[in-house]
Amino acid sequence: MLQISNLSINYDGKSIVNDLSFLVRRGELVCLQGKSGCGKTSILNCIMGFTPYTGSITMDGKLLNESTVDELRRLVAYVPQELALPQQTVREMVYLPYQLKANRHSQPSEDTVFEEWKRLNLDASLMDMSASAISGGQRQRIMLSVAGLLGKSLMLVDEPTSALDSDNVQLVLDYFRFLAASRNMAILVASHHQEIIRGCDMVVRIEGTMNHKTRESHEYGD
Amino acid sequence: MNTVTEINLLGLGLGLLLLLIPLFVLYKCRTGLVHSTLSATARMIVQLWLIGLYLQYLFAYDVWWVNLIWGIIMTFVATGTAIQRTRLNPKMLGFPMFVAFLISAILITLYFIGLVQMEQSVFTARYFIPIFGLLLGNMLGVNVLALSTYFEGIRREQQMYRYLLGNGATLWEATLPFLRQAIVKAFNPCIANMAVMGLVAMPGTMIGQILGGSDPSTAIKYQIIIVVITFVASMISLMVTIVIAQHRCFDAMGRLKQIAVN
Repeated sequence: MLQISNLSINYDGKSIVNDLSFLVRRGELVCLQGKSGCGKTSILNCIMGFTPYTGSITMDGKLLNESTVDELRRLVAYVPQELALPQQTVREMVYLPYQLKANRHSQPSEDTVFEEWKRLNLDASLMDMSASAISGGQRQRIMLSVAGLLGKSLMLVDEPTSALDSDNVQLVLDYFRFLAASRNMAILVASHHQEIIRGCDMVVRIEGTMNHKTRESHEYGD
Repeated sequence: MNTVTEINLLGLGLGLLLLLIPLFVLYKCRTGLVHSTLSATARMIVQLWLIGLYLQYLFAYDVWWVNLIWGIIMTFVATGTAIQRTRLNPKMLGFPMFVAFLISAILITLYFIGLVQMEQSVFTARYFIPIFGLLLGNMLGVNVLALSTYFEGIRREQQMYRYLLGNGATLWEATLPFLRQAIVKAFNPCIANMAVMGLVAMPGTMIGQILGGSDPSTAIKYQIIIVVITFVASMISLMVTIVIAQHRCFDAMGRLKQIAVN
């Protein structure tokens, strides 16, 4: 689904990521692991075409470039870190991406959203609450459920557990595994949370610009 | 009713004398604005005097292409002022703004003179120059506020912008929330003004016409149309600026070019 080959990122002449390659298949949960500032978010930004890079990124066999970027972004569900949308209510937050032409066909009913929320321990009463009244953890889980329901083949998630306690981290991990197994999604998560790292099919460890290693924590085959 | 009471030099002097009141307040409150107020007043008098002299010649000469060139010069000045106030990059936004101002000012001015006033000669200096200038002045204010809000919004709320793009939005869809904010901020005062016009605020065009000797019913009709055409011209100019700016200020990946905003 997602192939990263020889990816290098430079900011103002300074190397952030150097010669990184990995593959994320459908049905797989892959973690980008590394300390804060090591370039995890930058890698996600490259995959969405937000950050300049050298090397190549392909999705479903199509090379990411200026002419394919719109098409490839339509394959992606993206959850930024601790996203604070300016929407007034939770309902507006939930349905925001479904106002886009690319996602209108997949707009879920309220019941479908509530079913999804049960997996993430979210109460249906949150739907009519003000967006400013919910906690950071609730917000993160709501945004994950929205991404999960978009019906995309690739999900990119940036630090999904930064505002969660350990019980909810396990719930989120279970949710990722459910999306990968049942909806055949490829999921790439940037995280330094040990529980997430342990639960992934593969971990891409980012340890400075000259030393990138990949580790398979589970059997990793075709 | 067509009689104009001329203000002689003594009257003008007495009118200017009123400025002593705000100058006294500015001085007593140590605002540091006394010098700039005096300088601004002097500039205003000289500039208006010069423009008055120039307009007298322009009206007397009254050749369509001279009037049009004058309109283009005014558009240049308006574009420069807008760029300066918004602190946007002139290389990126100067052209979109200039085109937007010129197109909307010419279109609406000609519509007003040709179809509303039903004048035979649409480039008549007496109508073309003041209406063109009036529209430019309003477009300037609206565009400065709207474009600042638009680009500042995209810059400040990068996460939201990227969230939309990253979930399949087109460039237009991803920038739409910011355009919405910009329109609301820029046009809300115009709409509010319209709602209270004649009750709370006495509109300038109407007062000017009445003082100039027009019948109040004529002045009201002019005022209504002037409000409508300034609103329409401001909206058209903003939309044209945004459409052209989107092509120039964002790259093919949807990233706002660094050089778009100073």
